[in-house]
Amino acid sequence: MRSHSLIIFLLAAAPIVALAQGANGWRETSFVPTPRGEWKGALLPDGQPDVSGHWSNTIGNHNNLTDPQGPLGADDEAASRGNGRRQQKPRSERAPSRVTDPPDGQVPFQPWARAKQEEFLKYLNNPIKPEYVEPFARCAPGGPTKSFEWHGYEIRQFPGYVVFLFDSGNRVIHLDGKPHLPENLKLWNGDSRGHWEGNTLVVDTTNNNSKARLGRSGEFVSENAMIAEQFIFSTNGDPGGDRFTYEATYTDPTVLTRPFTITIPNRRVTDKTPADDWNNLTFLAKHEGSGPTTIEAEPAIEAYERVCVEGNGNHGQVVVETK
Amino acid sequence: MLALALSAASAQPSVPRGLDGKPDFSGIWQSLSGADYGLEPHLATLDGPPGAGIVEGKAIPYQPQALQRRAKNFAARAAADPRNKCYTLGTPRGLYSNEPFQIFQRPRDLTVLFDFGHPVRTIHTNATEHPDGHIDFWLGDSRGHWEGDTLVVDVTDFNGETWLDRAGNFNSDELHLVEHWSFVDRNTIRYRATFNDPKVYTRPWTLEVLLYRRLEPNVQIIENYCATLEYDKYYPFPSSQ
Repeated sequence: MRSHSLIIFLLAAAPIVALAQGANGWRETSFVPTPRGEWKGALLPDGQPDVSGHWSNTIGNHNNLTDPQGPLGADDEAASRGNGRRQQKPRSERAPSRVTDPPDGQVPFQPWARAKQEEFLKYLNNPIKPEYVEPFARCAPGGPTKSFEWHGYEIRQFPGYVVFLFDSGNRVIHLDGKPHLPENLKLWNGDSRGHWEGNTLVVDTTNNNSKARLGRSGEFVSENAMIAEQFIFSTNGDPGGDRFTYEATYTDPTVLTRPFTITIPNRRVTDKTPADDWNNLTFLAKHEGSGPTTIEAEPAIEAYERVCVEGNGNHGQVVVETK
Repeated sequence: MLALALSAASAQPSVPRGLDGKPDFSGIWQSLSGADYGLEPHLATLDGPPGAGIVEGKAIPYQPQALQRRAKNFAARAAADPRNKCYTLGTPRGLYSNEPFQIFQRPRDLTVLFDFGHPVRTIHTNATEHPDGHIDFWLGDSRGHWEGDTLVVDVTDFNGETWLDRAGNFNSDELHLVEHWSFVDRNTIRYRATFNDPKVYTRPWTLEVLLYRRLEPNVQIIENYCATLEYDKYYPFPSSQ
């Protein structure tokens, strides 16, 4: 049986430098945000833009929010070795901060909150207290935004709902205008209400327990945070496949001096996308010929069951035994 | 909110149907059977109320050594029930537990999202097959097809780490489950499951339970990642104090 509380695996970071300048477009160092506008692609029977399927971020890595392809803390040994997978490019050649507003790319923390974030980062690679272990490493959900910074995921749409399936949990966006849950119910992945405006799914997410950090670099908000999200989908014809830009504006006067915005670029995964251990964890469904089934126009691809049980797999490079 | 495409040749009183004409099980459902306390007939214990059981033939036909293991499970259940570690309840226990679940249906699959625990179960209805080899899944691998208005689902690839209820009933990783889902009426589903497991049972056996649609306005599934409760205390919102 799984030992539940004694062994903690810290999740592995994605390779920081990949393939030449993001070959296949999965390790980008820059991106052009998708503009808002009309939706010109296929529609589902209930009128939603059809964006169902498997997707992944194109700037992966949930380590460092403001320097996603950079080292994690001053004591990031793998980065300082300067060889193998963690060899560092100069900052100017790495992807920009995920924080796109304010323009300096930093989370506008109140001073006490900045100190708390730095404390978390200082002990991340040497967690001397349980609270320095990011809960995500213990199979807690990634939170509304950080869930998009990790592995590829799936979008399924139904009348009244858009459902996101991550390896670390799921999010249900309610489209029917029902009221939010009572305010005192605080959830790892929040409570989301949304509607479509052209090519954009506009979402407001409340009821955040905010226990999930925004990156392993330790950025956080409080349970008073409100998140205004936009999922802006390009229509068909984008060279290299469909894309969408995820933008999340965080408002939290108890932690921040002003709101800030995180932006994450994403691309569709298809049966033609090469499999890897990060962006594309799908495989061809077993079907006579593995071509399109009678129901789908494309060959059916699937992901394995999305379960995280503490200690259930090779999730990382550090094993820490706690007593 | 349910798709109501009218079908000219329905053998059943009017039930929700998808645009493909098949019965549409979309909605939030919950069992009232109390079967999670015990699948077989049982008196009240400190765990829960009495129940007449949902097993056809009353008793699960265990092999002798499996019966001993069930007794051990029962004695150790406070610590040993995977549910108490907030592991997923697995298949089919998640369906007759005391918490609701939501079915989202489209022609290619059913998505079963549970209140309790992380994982989401997908029942593929797009004529695909189980992957090659045996895989240890918590929820099994589910492939369904329609026989008239009944959804028949074949489930394999279990990891044998879940229980069937709080009383210690269990299966192995060789379980082969066949489910039948059908509407009794538009707000009631009949769920039947036949268990075949040569490592544990002497013969196949079947349970049946009704699932009731949750009709309250604005009812929704509420995230219940109780796996985090034990260490939640280590993650207070870092306050300004």
